[in-house]
Amino acid sequence: MKILVAVKRVVDYNVKVRAKADGTGVETANVKMSMNPFDEIAVEEAVRLQEAGKAKEIVAVSLGVAACQDTIRTALAMGADRGVLVETDAELQPLAVAKLLKAVADQEKPDLIILGKQAIDDDANQTGQMLAALLGWAQGTFASKLEFVADALNVTREVDGGLETVALKLPAVITADLRLNEPRFVKLPNIMKAKKKPLAVLKPTDLGVDVTPRLVTLKVQEPPKRQAGVKVDSVTTLVDKLHNEAHVI
Amino acid sequence: MDMQNPPAPETVALLDGIRAFVDPAHVRTDPDSLLNYGRDWTRFYTPNPLAVVLPDSIEQVQQLVRYANDHQLALVPSGGRTGLSGAAVACQGELVVSLERMNRILDFDPIDRSVTCQAGVVTEVLQNFARDHDLYYPVDFASRGSSQIGGNIATNAGGIKVIRYGLTRDWVTGLKVVTGRGDLLDLNGGLIKNASGYDLRHLFIGSEGTLGIIVEATLKLTRPLREPSVMVLGVPDLDSVMSLYHAFRSQLELSAFEFFSELALRHVLKKGLHRPFDGETPYYALLEFDNPEQASTDEALALFERGAEEGWLVDGVISQSETQAKELWRLREDISESIAEHLPYKNDVAVRIAKAPAFLAEADALLAQQYPDFEVLWYGHIGDGNLHINILKPAAMEHRTFIHKCEAVNDLLFQALQRHGGSISAEHGVGLTKKPYLHYTRSATEVGYLRAIKQAFDPNGILNPGKIFDR
Repeated sequence: MKILVAVKRVVDYNVKVRAKADGTGVETANVKMSMNPFDEIAVEEAVRLQEAGKAKEIVAVSLGVAACQDTIRTALAMGADRGVLVETDAELQPLAVAKLLKAVADQEKPDLIILGKQAIDDDANQTGQMLAALLGWAQGTFASKLEFVADALNVTREVDGGLETVALKLPAVITADLRLNEPRFVKLPNIMKAKKKPLAVLKPTDLGVDVTPRLVTLKVQEPPKRQAGVKVDSVTTLVDKLHNEAHVI
Repeated sequence: MDMQNPPAPETVALLDGIRAFVDPAHVRTDPDSLLNYGRDWTRFYTPNPLAVVLPDSIEQVQQLVRYANDHQLALVPSGGRTGLSGAAVACQGELVVSLERMNRILDFDPIDRSVTCQAGVVTEVLQNFARDHDLYYPVDFASRGSSQIGGNIATNAGGIKVIRYGLTRDWVTGLKVVTGRGDLLDLNGGLIKNASGYDLRHLFIGSEGTLGIIVEATLKLTRPLREPSVMVLGVPDLDSVMSLYHAFRSQLELSAFEFFSELALRHVLKKGLHRPFDGETPYYALLEFDNPEQASTDEALALFERGAEEGWLVDGVISQSETQAKELWRLREDISESIAEHLPYKNDVAVRIAKAPAFLAEADALLAQQYPDFEVLWYGHIGDGNLHINILKPAAMEHRTFIHKCEAVNDLLFQALQRHGGSISAEHGVGLTKKPYLHYTRSATEVGYLRAIKQAFDPNGILNPGKIFDR
């Protein structure tokens, strides 16, 4: 089995995100960038499948600026075998990402594609679903457990009411949820090995995909500041405030 | 005073005198307050304060000190009480003076890059305040969420970034202190340079509440690290830890170099953390360096390869995100908390870094010989020559017996330390726990000068009596 894993370069989870002063987007200059945490989980799952003898090859794909090579190298250090970067400075919206990934999948012909359920920068949660639709493949989204049973892939999904298990036929698209696994730390010797692993760089035009944005961002602004809490001196005052100020009781 | 019984009439009168100038609600005698404010993170003294007073202004602190002088009342200044040497313990009927209500940040100057705050500001609040202004307060340690600036200064707190940023002392540019006489001193006023005579500020830093009560401080801030990377290396022996320190420090600007033993790691793993990599090594080194350019990663990798060739390390991992950096830090930072349930006996010693390997070898052999049945954990800020030695209490052993057994070996350990020119307390302070051993680090002549200084600032001996040395 061959697995394709998509990895996105995003503002590090621990960075306090700030809107640019002119409202055109999020400040990314001099900001720590890391692999999208859900994509890290996707890579870890692929590597575990490989370690369990289920997968032969893992290809890590990233789309975006040249620095996305760092993100791919992290995936390679975690255990992916080779990388593909579709390099562009253009803004990539979920539909364009799904189209690019489909084009890469058409070339690579994987049996399984694993992605994070969403990226923590735009929180769109669309790419995996769109990709499955474009490919016409089965999809197992919000996966918290993968299990191969005979020729089917059982995917346990975290849904509002609890857990749901669906049986998919390959090829399929999986989107990883938080509890699928806990990603490993990257070993230093593996970083050195990762430097020698192949990493191909393509352009969107090589894949014949038009990535022109379909959506227009009107404005990016920070949420209103939360008011500081107050301490009250009695239950009566608390009840009074909850009733007359907060209007919650 | 027995905490279960109502206070004696003369105590009531004494406290009513304080209630005349401090809001009575903040003069507390309830058992919970007496217990919580009477102790620090050492757990073998029985808390027994007379009362807990929480002043909310410098004037109230001055009034309290004067009142204490008039009535021969002992005061124990109190911060976050996260200390490990008993300096904030009140076990002989003292009045605890908690600064926790004096917790406001008063002034921030982006040009000076300095912040002025009251003593009761929690360390983490100050760190976050700095971060919100794209600056960094680099004195950092695991108890950041409870410890207070006043306490940090009174103990000259160190922590995990000392190798690059120094101790609390290096960040204090101004202090307001109420002396044991009740005088308010405004020291150094935030100046970088000030060559106008004795710098009393530095006497109060690390004075453990014995000279004055710190009420306000002006602290420097600096630029934050841009992209700190954290490595954890598996190391076969203590000598190799030192070799790695030397090799990495000569090539990279390290902001931390910590070490811990496999035995220590096992305790944090029990709390749900994961091993950094498969397989055990006797020791681990944790390094942090700023990594804004690819060049430092390449340098770190080259050093790793060299370490592997030399046999200094067996394996290692490096953080790929800040989340991973924090997870790796927890392997080191959570040790102290994870062993708390075993009531560890703590030693916190310092030697010059060059002397560390020889001292370590000697101490390791001594402890193995003296404590064949005790679990001895090593960890610490080895880049600062600071070693934490924690001896865990066997579950079946009575606490007092355990402490006595540990103290019996202290003299041997400190004699070894003395031969290597070290200190009996690197950063925890002397307080009560290390008071009997002060002579291993300070000569009788020097202690005589310490007493003379104490006499000058606190002639009636009302401030934290019995801490550091006896009167």
